[in-house]
Amino acid sequence: MTQTIAPNAAPPAAVPTAAPAPVHRTGLRGALSRTPGRLRVAGVVAVIAAAAVGVVGLNAGLAQSQALSDADADTTQLVGIQDVRNDLVIADATATNAFLVGGLEPSEQRARYDEAVASAANGLAQLAGSNAADAELLGQATAGLTTYTGLVEQARANNRQGFPVGAAYLDQASAVLRSDVLPQLDELVQANSDRVDASFDSVGSVPWLLALGILALAALVVVQVWLAGRTHRRLNSGLFWSTVLALAATIAGAFVLGSTAQRAADVRNGPYDETVSVSSAYSLANNAKSMESFTLIKRGSGAAYEEQFVAETTQAAELLARDTVDPALAPLFDDWLAAHAQIRALDDGGDWDGAVALAISDEPNAPNDVFATFSAAAESSLDASAQLTNEGLSGAGGSVVRIGWLMLIVGLLAAVLSWRGISKRVEEYR
Amino acid sequence: MTRTRSTTTFGAAVAALALLAGCAGAPAAAPVSQQEVTAQQVAAPVAVPPVAACENGLLPTASYDPGPGGGSVQAIRDRGALRVGVSADTLLMGSRNPLSGQIEGFDIDMLNAVSTAIFGKPTPLQFRVITSAQRLEVLENHEVDLVARTFTMNCERWETIAFSAEYLTAGQKVLVTRDSEAASIEDLEALGDQRVCAPEGTTTLERLQETYPGVEAVSAPTHTGCLVLFQQGKVEAITGDDTILAGFVAQDPYAKVVGEAFSAEPYGIGVAADQLDLVQFVNGVLDQAKADGSWAASYTTWLGALGAAPAPPVSVYGRVGSP
Repeated sequence: MTQTIAPNAAPPAAVPTAAPAPVHRTGLRGALSRTPGRLRVAGVVAVIAAAAVGVVGLNAGLAQSQALSDADADTTQLVGIQDVRNDLVIADATATNAFLVGGLEPSEQRARYDEAVASAANGLAQLAGSNAADAELLGQATAGLTTYTGLVEQARANNRQGFPVGAAYLDQASAVLRSDVLPQLDELVQANSDRVDASFDSVGSVPWLLALGILALAALVVVQVWLAGRTHRRLNSGLFWSTVLALAATIAGAFVLGSTAQRAADVRNGPYDETVSVSSAYSLANNAKSMESFTLIKRGSGAAYEEQFVAETTQAAELLARDTVDPALAPLFDDWLAAHAQIRALDDGGDWDGAVALAISDEPNAPNDVFATFSAAAESSLDASAQLTNEGLSGAGGSVVRIGWLMLIVGLLAAVLSWRGISKRVEEYR
Repeated sequence: MTRTRSTTTFGAAVAALALLAGCAGAPAAAPVSQQEVTAQQVAAPVAVPPVAACENGLLPTASYDPGPGGGSVQAIRDRGALRVGVSADTLLMGSRNPLSGQIEGFDIDMLNAVSTAIFGKPTPLQFRVITSAQRLEVLENHEVDLVARTFTMNCERWETIAFSAEYLTAGQKVLVTRDSEAASIEDLEALGDQRVCAPEGTTTLERLQETYPGVEAVSAPTHTGCLVLFQQGKVEAITGDDTILAGFVAQDPYAKVVGEAFSAEPYGIGVAADQLDLVQFVNGVLDQAKADGSWAASYTTWLGALGAAPAPPVSVYGRVGSP
């Protein structure tokens, strides 16, 4: 911005340097009272106006490219944090569900838990490296995760010996996850999503910078009109071609920057919105799945968990109903809710054992299987939309930088043409 | 209240002595003979009366005479299952066996005896796992028929619910780390800065806060929550009934129970105040279990760690009208 303002502020400063050329007569006032002096001033104005088009164009191009890459980086960071959050709630849902089984937990559930925790720990380290601003909260989340996994292992060790204190450790583990880890991640999700919004906003607003180019064009036209009146020649070819070039550059720039802004807006309202919605919904669904297990573990005293289940799944369903989201996901989610309703019906009907048997069953079409189907669909939808977002944002940066440099070159060329055009007229007074 | 408490403590000591005497007197311990029961019944009246009577002149351990049951019992029969409020994490009394997934323990055995008597054959209980603090409300709201969850009979609780006859006498003790030198809660007070855990909504926590201001009382939602805090070094000791602490020692070799019981905790099965026929029915079942040796068998199975099975607590009756 400073660079774009400078040329406009320049003319008064530039005038004295132009003035000393005709030294005879009394200073600036004298020089300006004569036609050659005025012509030179007009020339300087035209040169600055033409160059300004180039400078504004380059700045706009660079600013938009920067905003795009910021949006891209922040989106990647946001998706990364949500991935970690999902991993953690998956781990917790798996651990609590395995606990319901009694006896040794099934080895595939153990493997799923291990995988989710490893993936979360990995993700946390990478995220801390990729954005220093997030490092502090990520550090807290990592510390919380260490406590969480320690408590889960203690729950397991006790469970393995048949000690009921194991269940109390699992309780505490889940409480730690929900007080020391997830809130930190939620805060980061919010911060990154605000950053993404700000970047998208500036991608959209940058093209308006080109309005400054229109001011410069107006200045070129004014100079020509004045010149035509003064010299009684309709066209000054140098100034004419300069104006044409500046106009063409501005139009081309406006087109490229505008269409890039449009593409970014499409990404924002399309795949980006889908990514954020599905990721949040998926996270809510996994959290609700933990609640389902806790409702059963609490055996008759889990009403508060079921209330939370309902609240979270309602919110998830709203997110999945958004226009941007793959319409195949909502029915799969509803299938799972129906499976959950079966578990609740059994438990509320007094058949706790039946409810648990259903909740831990790994048969096809059992609730766990239905949830796995939804999970797989949500994960592949997330991968696809995150990739689309990334492609939409990272590809566009190059073209706006190119058009920026092109505008600078054209602007400088136009400035040279303007100066030559005016110089010819000035020479006529020699 | 303070006067009541000191007499309670005195009563506890007497009760504890009587209990010890009973244990010591048991020869080979395994089969509890009818003779011992009679001996204890003679000794018991000496031990129990010092437990302070309530304002209405009745002992907190006094329940309604055994009876055949009426409308409430029939309603349970019609429903097909006895709904009970229990603990799922109090090892030995009522806890979920992680290996089998079943809830089991001494409290559960008593409830199973009632269920079998109601339906004429062993019938699965419909469990509702509750915290200590929920025991009164689930009965008041008729969410369960019976509560057997280390439930101490006292005057205050008699105001809102009814109890069966006493089915187990526990005593409050202290659990500390294996290498601790404290041998009683007074020792802990003397040490200073000692945090002692007790569950919310229990007589244990009230007594800890009122009688032992020298220690910092820390509460947890359940007894097992206290064990977690203890294992994490967040409290130095746990106080609770010896029955519960025995379950903790079984789960943690670095814990030990010290000192003599400093209160008597008569356990009764909680029933809604308006279902006196159910109270009478339960009392009949408990008397039967105490007499036929099944009570002693359960005791040996679950609480053998406390010593050989003593004589069952003597049922005290004589309550009439609404509680």
